[in-house]
Amino acid sequence: MKALPLLLLFAAAPLNAQSGAALANPRDTPADREAGARIFHTHCAPCHGIKGTGGTGPDLTSGRFFHGSTDADLYRNISEGIPNTAMPDVFFNGAQVWQIVAYVRSLSQQASTAPVKGDAAHGAQLMKEKGCIGCHLVRGEGGSQGPDLSVIGSQRAPDYLRESLIDPNAHVAPEYRVARITTDDHASYAGFLLNQDTYIVQILDFKKGLQSVSRSAIKDFVVDTNSHMPSYRDRATGAELDDIVSYLSSLRREKGTTE
Amino acid sequence: MIRPMNLLLTVVLSTSALQAQITFDRLLNADKEPQNWLTYSGTYKSWRYSALDQINRDNVRNLKVAWVHQMVTNHRIEATPIVVDGVMYVSEPPSNVFALDAATGRPYWHYKRSLPSGVNVCCDAINRGVAVLGDRVYLGTVDAHLVALSAKTGDVVWDVPVADYTKGYSLTGAPLIVKDMVITGVAGGEYGVRGFLDAYDAKTGKRRWRFNTVPGPGEKGHETWPSSGPNANSWQQGGGPTWVTGSYDPELNYIIWGVGNPSPDWNADVRPGDNLYTDSAIALDADTGQLKWHFQFVPHDSNDWDAVQVPMLVDSDWHGQPRKLIYWAHRGGFYYVLDRKTGEFLLGKPFAKQTWAQGLDDKGRPERLPNSTPTEQGAVIWPGVQGATNWYSPSYNPLTGNFYLTVWENKGFYLKGEPAYTPGNRYVGSVPDIDMEDDPGYGAIRALNPKNGEKVWEYKTQTKPWSGVMTTAGHVLFGSSGGWLSRGKEMMEAYFFALDTDSGKELWRINLGGTMASNPISYMANGKQMVTMAAGSAIFTFSLP
Repeated sequence: MKALPLLLLFAAAPLNAQSGAALANPRDTPADREAGARIFHTHCAPCHGIKGTGGTGPDLTSGRFFHGSTDADLYRNISEGIPNTAMPDVFFNGAQVWQIVAYVRSLSQQASTAPVKGDAAHGAQLMKEKGCIGCHLVRGEGGSQGPDLSVIGSQRAPDYLRESLIDPNAHVAPEYRVARITTDDHASYAGFLLNQDTYIVQILDFKKGLQSVSRSAIKDFVVDTNSHMPSYRDRATGAELDDIVSYLSSLRREKGTTE
Repeated sequence: MIRPMNLLLTVVLSTSALQAQITFDRLLNADKEPQNWLTYSGTYKSWRYSALDQINRDNVRNLKVAWVHQMVTNHRIEATPIVVDGVMYVSEPPSNVFALDAATGRPYWHYKRSLPSGVNVCCDAINRGVAVLGDRVYLGTVDAHLVALSAKTGDVVWDVPVADYTKGYSLTGAPLIVKDMVITGVAGGEYGVRGFLDAYDAKTGKRRWRFNTVPGPGEKGHETWPSSGPNANSWQQGGGPTWVTGSYDPELNYIIWGVGNPSPDWNADVRPGDNLYTDSAIALDADTGQLKWHFQFVPHDSNDWDAVQVPMLVDSDWHGQPRKLIYWAHRGGFYYVLDRKTGEFLLGKPFAKQTWAQGLDDKGRPERLPNSTPTEQGAVIWPGVQGATNWYSPSYNPLTGNFYLTVWENKGFYLKGEPAYTPGNRYVGSVPDIDMEDDPGYGAIRALNPKNGEKVWEYKTQTKPWSGVMTTAGHVLFGSSGGWLSRGKEMMEAYFFALDTDSGKELWRINLGGTMASNPISYMANGKQMVTMAAGSAIFTFSLP
């Protein structure tokens, strides 16, 4: 295996070089990206999604990586894992890790061909006018009837955000499904389904707040897999949607903070 | 109810205060001193059954926490404690040991092992417990050493390397004492190790024998691995780990042990053949390590359905004749009865939904269905990769005659990928998905009639349990519904509960609020029956007020 010393050099270099942006991926041919895709499909997709758009792990298509965006950062995070996260450590040899980096890069190259258009400042204004802030929290302001959007720009690509505005049912995370419960003593609950166990169902009731309901008392229990957010297809113009998407995309994590 | 055990206990307890050393003879007769818990599964028959009945189905609802011992660890506790004459020996993951006062939980000593960096354990750096013989405590470590500690001080008496941790070998299972030997298995089936079972001289740490679970050239069974072509060396990374403590039959002088998955787990293309002795039960001559028989549950496995279950040894009537039997509920979803002398297949029946085998032939070999192996697009197969049960312990209760176990009713999504081997790195071929959103399945504690595999009762749990069960002479089953994996933001439940062994009815439960991935035990301290279970990073012990 003649290439090994060279690969080891590459493998070691990123650990020491903060200016790793200058370090080019040595395995970035179409064949490398294809090989990286195969590994990604079987090892990364369970968390990051078959298309890399995220699942229990973050979206990798936005080109924004919270734990570092250089090739060296990606190499390090794939080979060593990310401490205090679910991202595991080394599975592969150096050449394979670079192939995964090449494929992950290609995911965001596709995404970045559509630059974010719109007026972010106006988008922020529209978020208030259109009622978004009534349900969503953005940096300390807003409600609890939808996902916290404070760093959504680091988590979701612009196309995904636009789709969610137009068709909220396109992607509904399990924790934002609305459960409706009626008990034998005619109490009723409606809110996000939090946790279920053998004996208890926990929900964030829209009116009563955090509630635990004993399973033995439940008469009816339905979970709506659709979102309870209204579609903004007819609630905003195309330009207004651009502005909102632009604003949401600008909501990113600051370096040195955690989720 | 007549309880002759109380009389016996009085007699035995009065002698136990002498703190006699643990001899092989005491281990052979561990069932006669239920105030102790002397070996991983309680006795060599591995019933995980306690003959104590002070806590019983009529009073278990009054159970209270007697003491809690908090460990300082970020790793999962999978250990079964050992209790010897008032002292509990329990490992703290990754590779440390506490000696505790079994009555109060106060520590006597703590062995803390310094570990090198670069230790790789597939599924957390854990330990399933220690073994005790004489005045020594034996521990396998994640850097693949076997260590003998002084039972009085925790000082190291000897420390021998068993394998090379930089190649992915680790020791996570509890050793088993047989005669004057320490028997230990090895982990590393996700790193392309070549598995084995070892015997060491308990006094010196010198190795007596090794049985390779993947036979090499010239050894019987090697013909089930490729011997030529590009994959001629696949047996060298063939897997077959042995990380769950087996059983011992003193009459036959057989050590009976379960062997884990072949490597790589989810892509079998590099290892055409049956891949003996992976996914098998093996019986070894205890003195020589020679193979007496084997039974392979899954030839040429590509679903990671290890046979790392505890072999349950029961002498019972079989179709009108007394017979030495083994009861075995395997990860792939079938319950088996084997002849203990010969390994002959006597019965096989699914105990959970499975979609991979049409059935078993008259030798017990599965008749595989199409679409039952991983594919590049992904294949949905029951059971999921964690199996219909797993390594956690089942229990056999002689009073009910039932076999009790933790069951997962679940499917998995099996992908097949790149299985490139590099020493010390994962060699798996993909990562299958479980807890599928469209049908996450459920967990259960089940009682089976071991004679026919039929379900007697079931207690369902929302969270699929990662812990085993224990049953007692008080007609109580202790089990838990505590998981450790979380999906998204969902919090898994963590209940420890008591069920009626005869009906499955729930008698008592407590939310312990942390991962439960070990097995309960019971013992006596100061005249009280204690029940111990690990949860989160703590050891909880319960008794009646």
